[in-house]
Amino acid sequence: MIEQLRQRLLTLQRMPRIEAGPTAFPLGIPVIDTVLGGGLLRGALHEIAASREAHLAAATGFALGLAALSAPSPRLFWIAEDMALAESGTLHGAGFDAFGLAPERLVTVSVAHRRDLLWAMEEALRCRAVDAVIGEMRIGRIDSVMVRRLSLAATENGTFALLLRAAPPSDASTAASRWIVSTAPSVLTHGPGAPRFAAQLIRNRRGPAGSWILEWSDSDERFILATHDQSVAAPAFDRPHRQVA
Amino acid sequence: MISLWLRRLSTDRIVRSHDQSAPLVVTGKRGNTEVLTAVDDAARQLGLSPGLALAQARAMHPGIDAVDENVEADTALLESIADWCLRYTPLVACDAPDGLLLDISGCAHLYGGEHELAADLAARLENAGFAYSFAIAGTIGAAWAAAHHGKPSSYACGEERALLAPLSLSALRLATATVAGLARVGLKCIGDIVDLPRAPLTARFGSEVLRQLDRALGYEHEPLNPRLPVAPYVAEQRFAEPIAREEDVLSITGRLARRLQFAMERRGDGARRIELTLFRTDGVVRRIAAGTSRPLRDPDEIRALFAERLTVLADTLDPGFGFDMARLSVIVTEPCPPQQIGISDGEDAAEFCRLVDRLSARLGARRVHRLAAQDSHIPELTEVVLPAQTINGDTGWDAFRRYRKEIELSPRPLRLLTRPEPIEAVAEVPDGPPLRFRWRRALHEVIAAEGPERIEGVWWSEHSGPARDYFRVEDKSGLRFWLFRAGLYRDIAQGAASPAWFLHGTFA
Repeated sequence: MIEQLRQRLLTLQRMPRIEAGPTAFPLGIPVIDTVLGGGLLRGALHEIAASREAHLAAATGFALGLAALSAPSPRLFWIAEDMALAESGTLHGAGFDAFGLAPERLVTVSVAHRRDLLWAMEEALRCRAVDAVIGEMRIGRIDSVMVRRLSLAATENGTFALLLRAAPPSDASTAASRWIVSTAPSVLTHGPGAPRFAAQLIRNRRGPAGSWILEWSDSDERFILATHDQSVAAPAFDRPHRQVA
Repeated sequence: MISLWLRRLSTDRIVRSHDQSAPLVVTGKRGNTEVLTAVDDAARQLGLSPGLALAQARAMHPGIDAVDENVEADTALLESIADWCLRYTPLVACDAPDGLLLDISGCAHLYGGEHELAADLAARLENAGFAYSFAIAGTIGAAWAAAHHGKPSSYACGEERALLAPLSLSALRLATATVAGLARVGLKCIGDIVDLPRAPLTARFGSEVLRQLDRALGYEHEPLNPRLPVAPYVAEQRFAEPIAREEDVLSITGRLARRLQFAMERRGDGARRIELTLFRTDGVVRRIAAGTSRPLRDPDEIRALFAERLTVLADTLDPGFGFDMARLSVIVTEPCPPQQIGISDGEDAAEFCRLVDRLSARLGARRVHRLAAQDSHIPELTEVVLPAQTINGDTGWDAFRRYRKEIELSPRPLRLLTRPEPIEAVAEVPDGPPLRFRWRRALHEVIAAEGPERIEGVWWSEHSGPARDYFRVEDKSGLRFWLFRAGLYRDIAQGAASPAWFLHGTFA
């Protein structure tokens, strides 16, 4: 009897546990999926930071690529601070299209203050009709309590949440994963080739960290592991020119 | 119909804002002279009247206090009184410069009758410190005439003729020249012309005289031009004890919304824009509006919208000594057929609209947008951001995708700068891509470039800039940009300015 009640109490008190609850979606790259423990968690907050401000467009592309993978034709909320839009430019529907996302399913919100950004993100995360929420912030700190709130909101509804930052953060975080993204030289054909990202996983709740170079494949609408277009020189073991006495 | 005349509006405004003991006159420039435009009662007793030159008035009574006129402040005051009068009727018109017209048909019984309504109005104006005179009559013309020229607080419904007969002809709102002309032939009061043959009168003085007479007598309809559009659905509540707390305001909003729900359901309408009007005890009126992205009837959702609005307004709402009346009006409606509630896509769409409404209510409708494709080839005009609440249906992206496929449009950047930023660029050949360029003080060495993609301005507009040659370039560290050169080198010979380089966007 008591055991039964205990069981019942446990179900009532069910704490949203990130490890157990939400489902994960695979990136389709075995190496990364293994590191991530099967894929990126859908109902969780992830942080993506540009390695430098100049690389913000790459971080944006990486975030959009992940959002596109998180659900088929996702309804996406893009919430950005005014300053971020003025500095790095607004999302361009015609280019946004290339990431396999439909501009008609995008809602953009511009906010004046960081607290509005976090409030709007939380509201959007709590809405069942939204598949993914991306919040873009400029440089600066973010309250860890708010990050926790966002994580909880994402877990409760199973919504994919991304926080996009213009510079690598220095604060501790409760996000499920943290990435630092910079752009990588593309394979040049007649001009710039498909976008390439140097993605560095620096914090991962479900496994080790890692670093990869990924390419967004427009035709498959997914990331692929970039291969080197030129053969890489084997590490030199013997150095004949260095005469050892 | 009530015509309200605030005969000392300008001076009352000044007296209300600071203490005044000396006889007060308001002056303004008319032609080349400084003349009195308004006088208070003390000055009137000294024999001063509007129209007198200030120099003359000073010579007669050196002790008077003269203040410059401020037409904007007077108008604003009149408008705020008009807003306050909304407590009596939704049909309030400003009768510039110092009067108001209130259509109280069908509203008077709420106060227990026309006399009681008028007494309430009079008492509140008296308390607020305004000199007033008003009249109630069946027509605008008769009410106006009685308020401005007859006995104050006169009442005539159905007896307009008897009311008007002794009044002077200027009470018909005729031009001064016409009144003077009529006076020359011995026609001084309205009673003199009521029974005259109409044709000769019109032949001599124009149709205006008889039209105004007919309007005053009710033979011809005179339209009222209300200051605010009349809402199709209105619910209001008066309080015996003023309310001040936010929760009280919200709960009353919910209750009013419930009343509106029944009315809207009967006619199959839903609200697209709702306004909450709060009447403060001291006469200040607060209007709070909220928009919705789909026709809305649910009282709980309406209440939730206003909860967001009130959170934003928290400090500026300022209930003072409390609100003694609240009104919820639906300003814009849209047909909203009854729908079956089920576990379908509709649920999700409703949830989505609710979110957009909440965000718009809190942050402002202009901050929550969606993108709509435009029919233009100029990059910054290919799409437009529109408030998400206003967009319904097609946003034009299907057409854009077809167009892009058809003409094989080259890739577009992921992020577009709000305006192209000038850069210093060095190109190898005049019309070729840049070798290196400096943007935001950083130097970028170009290692690959694609282009040019020439985008011409629009020939039918003078303001469109020169042709642009766009290049997609990648620099040494892998950053990808969208640059353009505005203008062509070959045009320099024809006197065009030398080409300049700009950065317009960044690729992922």
